[in-house]
Amino acid sequence: MLEVRDLTATFNREGTPSQVVNRIAFDIAPGEAVGFVGESGSGKSVTARAVMRLAPEGSSIAWGGRILFKGQDLLALDERQMRDVRGRRIAMVFQDPMASLNPVMTVGQQIDDMLMRHMGLSQGAARKRTIELLAQVGIRDPEIRADDYPHQFSGGMRQRVLIAIAVSCQPDLLIADEPTTALDVTVQAQILRLLMRLRKEIGMALMLITHDFGVIAGMVERVYVMHRGDIVESGQVDALFADPKHDYTKALLAAVPRIETARRSA
Amino acid sequence: MLRMILVRLALTVPILLGVSIVAFGLMRALPGDFVLAAAGTNTVSQEVIDTTRRQLGLDRPIWEQYGIWLQNALSGDLGTSFATKKPVVSELLPRLAVTAELTLMAGLTALAFGATTGLASARLRGRTDWAVRGLNSLLLAVPNFVIATLIVLLFGLYFPTIGIFNYVPFAKDPLGNIVSLLLPAISLALTVSVTVSENTRAAVLEVSSQDYVMVARAKGLLARTILGNYLVRNALTPVITVTGLQLAALLGGSILIETIFTIPGMGQYLFDSVTRRDYPVIQGIVLVSSTIVLLMNVLVDIAYARVDARVSYE
Repeated sequence: MLEVRDLTATFNREGTPSQVVNRIAFDIAPGEAVGFVGESGSGKSVTARAVMRLAPEGSSIAWGGRILFKGQDLLALDERQMRDVRGRRIAMVFQDPMASLNPVMTVGQQIDDMLMRHMGLSQGAARKRTIELLAQVGIRDPEIRADDYPHQFSGGMRQRVLIAIAVSCQPDLLIADEPTTALDVTVQAQILRLLMRLRKEIGMALMLITHDFGVIAGMVERVYVMHRGDIVESGQVDALFADPKHDYTKALLAAVPRIETARRSA
Repeated sequence: MLRMILVRLALTVPILLGVSIVAFGLMRALPGDFVLAAAGTNTVSQEVIDTTRRQLGLDRPIWEQYGIWLQNALSGDLGTSFATKKPVVSELLPRLAVTAELTLMAGLTALAFGATTGLASARLRGRTDWAVRGLNSLLLAVPNFVIATLIVLLFGLYFPTIGIFNYVPFAKDPLGNIVSLLLPAISLALTVSVTVSENTRAAVLEVSSQDYVMVARAKGLLARTILGNYLVRNALTPVITVTGLQLAALLGGSILIETIFTIPGMGQYLFDSVTRRDYPVIQGIVLVSSTIVLLMNVLVDIAYARVDARVSYE
């Protein structure tokens, strides 16, 4: 479904280009869950945003190569066509739920506007669907909560709302960029379980970006390990955990705290 | 919210009391008084001066004069003008209406122009940004009476058919009235628009880099939805504040602009009254203007809460 070939991303800072993603290639099949692991600065977030063609505000970034989505090169689309892909076919959940919701709109309005834009729903029909979606992501009393503002929600609840926004148009691919990094450990597990459940219900593919191998385990089938703009290793999760080939992968795996090692050293 | 409004309104009372005392004292501290100013260069006998002062109540101790004024003011009577012998309230209200209309027109013009240039400069960057910031520096450096003078010269020389100095009362010809206030409103607006423009620019730049704008783009929303619901609505709060406060300052009346365009507003009235030492009129204008400034502040606070649900005054 998604075939990425020779993807490069080059930032242009005051005339000096710096390439942060170096001709990488990867695939995601329909309904598949794929992890991207690497430390911060490894280029995994830039890769995720390249698929959405989202440049950070005020920066100039150039993408090269091909991003084939269902046979269509996203890098060849114009901005208007790309807007129809964003949110509708490929949706995204971001890292910081505290900053990702518009503070002057109710959470309901922020799901409504997405449904009205892509699904051609009327205000009333959109609100009905919004309430269903809020219930689906585990928000209690969705009829009442839809009229609340983001500041009346906790971090975990806001991430649930953002997930409801992302899955509202039943996308083919959901990109989750460090979706649990900003959350408490107990809430992290709930959000991951929610993502897993929705992936099955909607039948969408999942591209999960994280720096944490602990998050990857049990969530995805395949993993790409990124380091300094390159994919240094890839493979099935179990195989990679059992027998990492690349030194960087070994180092990353060693960084995950384990109960056994803790016991042994105690 | 209602509680906040009531508390804020109650707080205006001691502030107004303080302002009126200061204004009263300052006026009396100026050299000369109404009688001397009215006599001018004519030789008037000391006897006549004393009699007139006694008639106007100027011979009493100053705290007694203040007490009398305050007592009347509390019952809605701002006294009688020394010069015209007419009640201050009836002279002041029509002038306040003129100034309020001029300020409203200037405010809307400044808001429309400043918000547009500020938004354009923040969104388009590059050359537009340079052009807008250059224009803003220029408008800030040139005082509004210079702009007004230039407008008068320009229209007087090249479009003499447009009557610049023909103020038309609203009751007589509403459309003609608005037209006659257009040029003075623009003169006032240009300086205010600089503040609006710079604040809009800063606010939009700040909001643009927020995560929720990235989320809005990731949702595939139309550019105009993102601009209206995500950028502008969030950038509005600081712009409301500065515009509100600037308008409040203008409501006291712009002496220079009203004088240049011969508009019968508060500014001109105040200027004449200070020259004549017409104490009741000055006192009345100070009281009314400061009430308006205080009310504007409360209105700005209410507007905050309307725009941004996070603002609550509990």
